[in-house]
Amino acid sequence: MSKPSDLVQGTLDMLLLKILALEPMNGFAVSQRLKQVSGDVLQMSDGSLYPALHKLEQEGWITAEWKTSINGRRAKYYSLTRLGRRQLEKETDNWGRLSSAISRVVKLKEA
Amino acid sequence: MQPKNWIFTVPLRLRSLFRQPQADQELDDELRDHVELKTEEYVSKGMAAQEARRMALLDMGGIEKRKEQCRDTRHVNWLQDLLHDLRYGLRMLRKSSGFTAVAILTLAVGIGANTAIFSVVDAVLLRPLAVQEPSRVVYVSETWRDISPGLSIGNFVEVRTQAASFESLCASNSASFNLATDDMPERVDGEYATASYFTTFGVPPMAGRVFTAEEDQPGHDQVVVISERLWRTRLHANPAVVGHLLTINGLRYTVVGIMPASFDPLLSLSELWLPEAFTPQKLADYDSHYLNVMGRLKRGVALAQAQSELNLIATRLLTEHPIDDKERGLRAIPLSTALLGNQKLALRMLLAAVGFVLLIACANIANLQLGRSRTRHKEIAVRVALGASPQRIVRQLLVENILLGLAGGTIGVLLAYWGLAWIVVYGPAEVPRLAESRIDALALAFACGVALLASFLFGLAPALRAASLQLSEAFKEAGRTASGSRDRVRSGLVVSEVALALVLMAGAGLLIRSALLVSHVDPGFATSNLVVGRVGLPTAEYHAPEQASQAFERMVAEVDRLPGVESAAVVSRVPLAGGGGDNNNGLLPEGKALDPANLVLARLQIVSSAYLSTVRIRLKVGRGFRPQDTRERTLVAVVNETLARTVWPGQDPIGKRFACCEAGPKGRMDPVWHEVVGVIADVHSWGLDRQIQPEFFLPIAQMPPGAWDWIGRTMDIVVRTRNRALPARDLQAAVAAVTPGVPVYELSTMEHKVAGTLQRSQFDTFLLSIFAATALLLSSVGIYGLLSYMVAQRTRDIGIRMTLGATQGQILLQVLGYGARLTAIGLAVGLAGALAATRVLSSMLFGVGSTDAITFAGVSLLVAGVAFVATFIPARRAMQVDPMVALRYE
Repeated sequence: MSKPSDLVQGTLDMLLLKILALEPMNGFAVSQRLKQVSGDVLQMSDGSLYPALHKLEQEGWITAEWKTSINGRRAKYYSLTRLGRRQLEKETDNWGRLSSAISRVVKLKEA
Repeated sequence: MQPKNWIFTVPLRLRSLFRQPQADQELDDELRDHVELKTEEYVSKGMAAQEARRMALLDMGGIEKRKEQCRDTRHVNWLQDLLHDLRYGLRMLRKSSGFTAVAILTLAVGIGANTAIFSVVDAVLLRPLAVQEPSRVVYVSETWRDISPGLSIGNFVEVRTQAASFESLCASNSASFNLATDDMPERVDGEYATASYFTTFGVPPMAGRVFTAEEDQPGHDQVVVISERLWRTRLHANPAVVGHLLTINGLRYTVVGIMPASFDPLLSLSELWLPEAFTPQKLADYDSHYLNVMGRLKRGVALAQAQSELNLIATRLLTEHPIDDKERGLRAIPLSTALLGNQKLALRMLLAAVGFVLLIACANIANLQLGRSRTRHKEIAVRVALGASPQRIVRQLLVENILLGLAGGTIGVLLAYWGLAWIVVYGPAEVPRLAESRIDALALAFACGVALLASFLFGLAPALRAASLQLSEAFKEAGRTASGSRDRVRSGLVVSEVALALVLMAGAGLLIRSALLVSHVDPGFATSNLVVGRVGLPTAEYHAPEQASQAFERMVAEVDRLPGVESAAVVSRVPLAGGGGDNNNGLLPEGKALDPANLVLARLQIVSSAYLSTVRIRLKVGRGFRPQDTRERTLVAVVNETLARTVWPGQDPIGKRFACCEAGPKGRMDPVWHEVVGVIADVHSWGLDRQIQPEFFLPIAQMPPGAWDWIGRTMDIVVRTRNRALPARDLQAAVAAVTPGVPVYELSTMEHKVAGTLQRSQFDTFLLSIFAATALLLSSVGIYGLLSYMVAQRTRDIGIRMTLGATQGQILLQVLGYGARLTAIGLAVGLAGALAATRVLSSMLFGVGSTDAITFAGVSLLVAGVAFVATFIPARRAMQVDPMVALRYE
């Protein structure tokens, strides 16, 4: 289980924020969803997931709540805040610009 | 971290801080839940339950570690960490209470000594003078040959008129006054001051007013300004004292104002000020150079500017008054330098000494810490395994050391408080402002700073060393000997301690030898069974010179009649009595041209005829004074050997003549000749360690009429008693019988006064010796500690070596040898340092050079001896190791 090798930290945060934008969920669910949606390409190690989530909470982009889940278990559910939504938009824009710039370079015709 | 996020995150952080156990539990739950869910996932994929759980835990890594990482994202952590470190540090220190006690005590001594000496330095040197804007206040003096006399009245008036650099200039002259109170008149110190004296210093009176410009004129000067101290002690704090009349020196003065107790610009403890109203006669005097002149520079004018202006004025004065101002310059220095400059050397020396003691103390504790760090390896290793970063470890160790430092500092401040109280009581009286030393906020801040600095000094190296260790190494058995580099650091520390201690011992040794040599100097007269007192006649009643002379002569006769008195005499200033001004006169030997360049500066002493025999100064050639030596006969003088040697080298001075002190009937250029009739042996008038100056004596009956003004109608009465005691009141009564209402003051034995001149140097020597002894003690403890530790560490080695055939003697010699090597290197480094350092003491030494071989050899032997004892005890322990026990030791 290794981190995607060419992602920078901000991109990682963006991914987590996006997942949580879909619906509130706990940490395990976030890592499952990320793996599932990206077709097993993007996988976060458990060890780095929680510090990342706590950092996002620290910045005020997500907020946490202890809820009783469907099967009677107590779990900590994270959800996106208004600030977080704005941060997500900003990061998405940045990523868009970055990726199109990289694409332009990569698509250059070789002589 | 943007400001707008604050609203969300501050509650979060505070929650972390205040509800930490709950937050911790939640974090724990969250991570464990994740591991549970991961395990279920693995099981659902077909793994065995146990295997699934193991994989899930592995994926997470260490739960504690992740928890730590999550906690790290909350920046409020630093406060939590600090509290945690503090609690942990206290626990660790309590566990090794022996070390803690020794360390705190050592630090307390070092910090306490430093704080006490710092308080003294602060009070004496650093605190600004209690005047307005002290940086602008300067002291103006003349320069003549190599002395700095005061200004003559004429010069003062000229400078005041011509100098544009000063906002105001004033002059004053110290004097003693007879103050009449209800019973016995008292002697108080005060000054004659010009009207601008108080405005120059800018301190307002606490009641009434200060002198006006009119009161500078003779005839309008019957006013006095008193000090708060005088008002409270001798005038009973009478609230209506302003406007009252006081009788001073027999004349009535109106009190116009009271100055606050903090006002002491010349550090002279003056209690009253009378106007210095210059008569027209005095204003024309360019010849007596004695006024203290102070000035306030105009805003924006630098001292250098003022100095160059004064140089110009001096040149002008020289052309206008070629005789009186020949070879004279003018000089301006800051007032604080003038008052305190000569205290700097001794105080700096003491400050350096306590600094050394503190360094040695820190080196000792560092050594102890390095020794302790071995036993803490396991503890630290466990913490590293639990996820602590190296910075965290270092931080915690530093906090522990700071706790030690602050604890040592607290006790040190207590020690400093007592030490300072002792210094203020027993310290030399001549150090200005010493009584104002106290532990104030600045001293506390200093102590705090020193404690923190010390903590870093002795704590940083061991902390860094501890943090950088490898996990695997920590769990190795402790049977191995200590690593070489650690030993080198500890040995290096011990060597430097010995070196520092040697430097201090060398300084103390030199000062002690000086003090011993000074106390054996022969003063030149018999100091035992001699009683000395001072009598000052009021100008009003004894205005005429004959009245004064007769009064003193009658006084001598009256005292002579007292039982138990062998003989009595008066002299203008008795030798070694201290205090009082210099009465330097210029002598012109017969045969030299009438030119100021030919003047020989000599001290004038006016004596009654029995003086030489009372004080028992040896008469070398010729005779003393006889009753027949009156003004009608030839004017005679007796000179000391130094004067005879200086003025008439190689010749017989008897019969030679010189002119001095007064002008003949034809005016200033008409010399009045005195004939030398006797030569006496040299006497150490100014101090046992000072060079002897030329002196000459005139009989009281042949005094120059103006001389009474020079000495303020004050003379010392000396009484040779048959046995020890002469009751003071007998002497007072005898004097009062002749001059009623005139007290005898500063009454004590000659031996007491001689001791007083030695008080300053003896005090400095005493303090430095204490510090040197402390340094020696601390460094010997350091040596002992290091060697004990090494012997304990190498017990197994020693056991092995013994079983292989080494004798007890060989082991002993080996340990002794190691100790000796350390000591030798320390001595060598210390000697080199001492040779360089003691040079600064040369001005304080008497009879020994700063590199005196005997002293250096002596202290080296002493240090080596103490070090040997410190080495011997552990060496003996090594020798007594039982090989069987040692080999079993794990």
